[in-house]
Amino acid sequence: MGKLFRRFHYWLRRSRMDAELAEEMEFHRSLAGRRAMGPSTLALEDARAVWIWPWLESLWRDLAYGARAMLHQPGFTAVALIALGSAIGVNTSLFTIFNGLALKPWPIRDPARMVILGQNYSVAEYRYLAEHTRALSGAVAMGHCGVRLEGRQAGCSAVSGNYFGVLGVEMQLGRGFRTDEDRVDTPQAVVVLSHALWRNRFGQDPDIVGRRVKLDDVPFIVVGVTSRDFLGTPSGDIWIPLPSRRLLRPDDPGMLQFLTSPRFCCANVAGRLAPGIAREQARAETELLLNQFRSQFGLQKIKVELRDTRWLSGAATNDKSGPILAILGILFLAVTLVLLLACANVGNLLLARAAARRQEIAVRLSLGGSRLRIVRQLLVESLALALAASAVGLAAAGVLPGILARRLEPAAAAHMRPDVSVLLYTIVLAVAACIAFGLAPALHATRGNLADALRQEARLPGLRLSLRGFLLSVQVAVSVVLLSSAGLLVRAVQRAETMDPGFVINGISVVSLDLPASEYAGPRTAAFAQQLQAQLEGAGVGLCDWQPLSNSRRQTNFRLPGEDEQNGRSIDFHEVNAAYFDVLGIPVLAGRNFASGDAARQAVMVNEAMARRYFPGENPVGKSIVWTVPREIVGLVKDASTQGLGPAEPILYIPFRAASVPKILLRGGPPAAERVSAAARQLEPRVEVRVAPLAEAFDQARQPAEIGAVLAGGIGILALLLASIGMSGVFA
Amino acid sequence: MGKPHAPLDLLPGTLDLLILKALARETLHGYGIAQKLKDSSDDVLQVGESSLYPALQRLLLNGWVKAEWGASENNRRARYYTLTAAGRKQMAGEREDFDRMIAAIQKVLQTA
Repeated sequence: MGKLFRRFHYWLRRSRMDAELAEEMEFHRSLAGRRAMGPSTLALEDARAVWIWPWLESLWRDLAYGARAMLHQPGFTAVALIALGSAIGVNTSLFTIFNGLALKPWPIRDPARMVILGQNYSVAEYRYLAEHTRALSGAVAMGHCGVRLEGRQAGCSAVSGNYFGVLGVEMQLGRGFRTDEDRVDTPQAVVVLSHALWRNRFGQDPDIVGRRVKLDDVPFIVVGVTSRDFLGTPSGDIWIPLPSRRLLRPDDPGMLQFLTSPRFCCANVAGRLAPGIAREQARAETELLLNQFRSQFGLQKIKVELRDTRWLSGAATNDKSGPILAILGILFLAVTLVLLLACANVGNLLLARAAARRQEIAVRLSLGGSRLRIVRQLLVESLALALAASAVGLAAAGVLPGILARRLEPAAAAHMRPDVSVLLYTIVLAVAACIAFGLAPALHATRGNLADALRQEARLPGLRLSLRGFLLSVQVAVSVVLLSSAGLLVRAVQRAETMDPGFVINGISVVSLDLPASEYAGPRTAAFAQQLQAQLEGAGVGLCDWQPLSNSRRQTNFRLPGEDEQNGRSIDFHEVNAAYFDVLGIPVLAGRNFASGDAARQAVMVNEAMARRYFPGENPVGKSIVWTVPREIVGLVKDASTQGLGPAEPILYIPFRAASVPKILLRGGPPAAERVSAAARQLEPRVEVRVAPLAEAFDQARQPAEIGAVLAGGIGILALLLASIGMSGVFA
Repeated sequence: MGKPHAPLDLLPGTLDLLILKALARETLHGYGIAQKLKDSSDDVLQVGESSLYPALQRLLLNGWVKAEWGASENNRRARYYTLTAAGRKQMAGEREDFDRMIAAIQKVLQTA
């Protein structure tokens, strides 16, 4: 043991030790009068090798021996490799996903100097900070903005004008934003596209810069395309300057307030540390500045925390990261159990094999072989096995996460590749697994003496059975846990499929209309929408501003009568006509449905969730709310999960205002939609009409849960396979 | 002193024993050990640095000697080796083995 310690001590201080040795030998040569005594470097190497070589060499010998032993028992090796390889494979794959999702820093220049303040800051607050900070060489703000690009939903980030400059994002084409495009009073219709969007939607058109693209119904000019590596923070398809959101919502006064009022929420703020400034310094300065600003407006003091961009803020995380991480946590637990199962499995196989080698080991022990040496050799053999299995696992990690990511979050797929941290994780896993499955059999095999071993040849049972029994019960227990939880999860997903969303999905068609971009902006679009609405009056088709289950929503602030004006409550709102509720089969529970003239009267309807939260125990019909003006609640409808699957959230329904092209909902398939198409074409012959079943959107909304069930089922089946391999190995 | 013999190769494993023996009564640096072996063997055993230093490292590794830096007779920094308790025990054991081995070899040579 002292020898091992001395070797370790040498290894820790090897450069100093080597220098001392060289000095000592030089001294020797000077005393010897520089007579030829053989080449001194060779002598030095020989002397140094005493400390290192035998240890490495014997390790290598053991590894080679282990590899040869594996080749000599192809059956055992194949079973062990499949079991361990698949277990390490699922672990490494999951870690690769986690790594890509949560651990990778932002894909920008020098990400280590970026710090994240968080997302509860008003844009005005951010402006104050960006202007006054010294500790940050630049602060950026960003927020989510849902828009359609050329008619299709796009992940949009509204960012401060210095965003690309401060982050140091390289541009494939064109430029990032300029500061003069970041003025609240003169919003510019400019947009930067992501590389993926440019490739998928515009065929890598080299002349894209300067072209107009339509965001919602407003033409924007493309000024740049980001480099391929930059996915966004979080990932997105397009970027516009913060003030440009006004152009997308010209008639929404809330937007100007969002951009200028210190009370409006929310923007994500991040900053780059100035050279030579530590994070704590920047934190103190930022907190001081923000609280200065907040005290001017009588706002509460806040504590500021600066996080690095690594943990849970990587390219692929977004608002959904909470539940995703929870799911990942559960999956981690499951795959750890699978690994445990595989270890118990292989451990049992090794134990059976060690029984066959027991005589050999006993003879070696009795001839004076040290027990430590033999245990080490057995462990190194296990290590060879574990390392081979991790190669299998790494190969799986190179393939599986990409397939999953492409289905769940295509933008993030590029990040789901194994990197150095994945490699390290796999190696740590292999070593841990090797100790888990190899140590007990190794210690067990070297116990006892020659006589015992020879005697036990006759009767195999004995001590060994208890260890085997233990490993077997671990396998059974783990696989039961895994299988039953997989079963429960599959059952839960089945229930979700049959869950009542509160509205009719089957047999409903969604008609989307796309107007020629260059000619339709603002007033002309509204005129088209109004004419269409008039044409479809009484046709029994639902009109609304956004399609149910399309992951889109609009929000506003309202207050209850008598409340302070500062007391804004955020709520979803949805523009619909009366037929919307009929088509989707959402019953009116109290009061009445919308009627003509309701738009002028500023009437609103609410759902049960809204009534429960803001008028608990009361009938909301006849009451009113204030949203810029007082509005009367004329009807109460049953909850319907139109915003997305899950419990319905409070929602305000307002009469369809015909300010933008509606989404049209109707019962029946494409033939039933013919009348709507005809009406639209009559108004504008160049309109593009798309008809899609609502069930399609429903399927998409359900997909993550389905993939989760497939994963859980897969892990469960893997567990079952491993357990049965283990049992048959023991009983055979 | 007499006529110097040509340097001989050592029997395998004996160098360690000789170094331990050289250090039995005094603390020496590497060159000093080589000199002492040479002097006490009437110039027969000339140990070169290419075998001396690996052997010294081996003894250090096994904990049979320990090394300390000190000033040499000409005031240069030199590493001095001292026998440890474990080294003394090892020397006694090896000495016994060596004597047995030599006796056995002698016996074979005389009877053959």
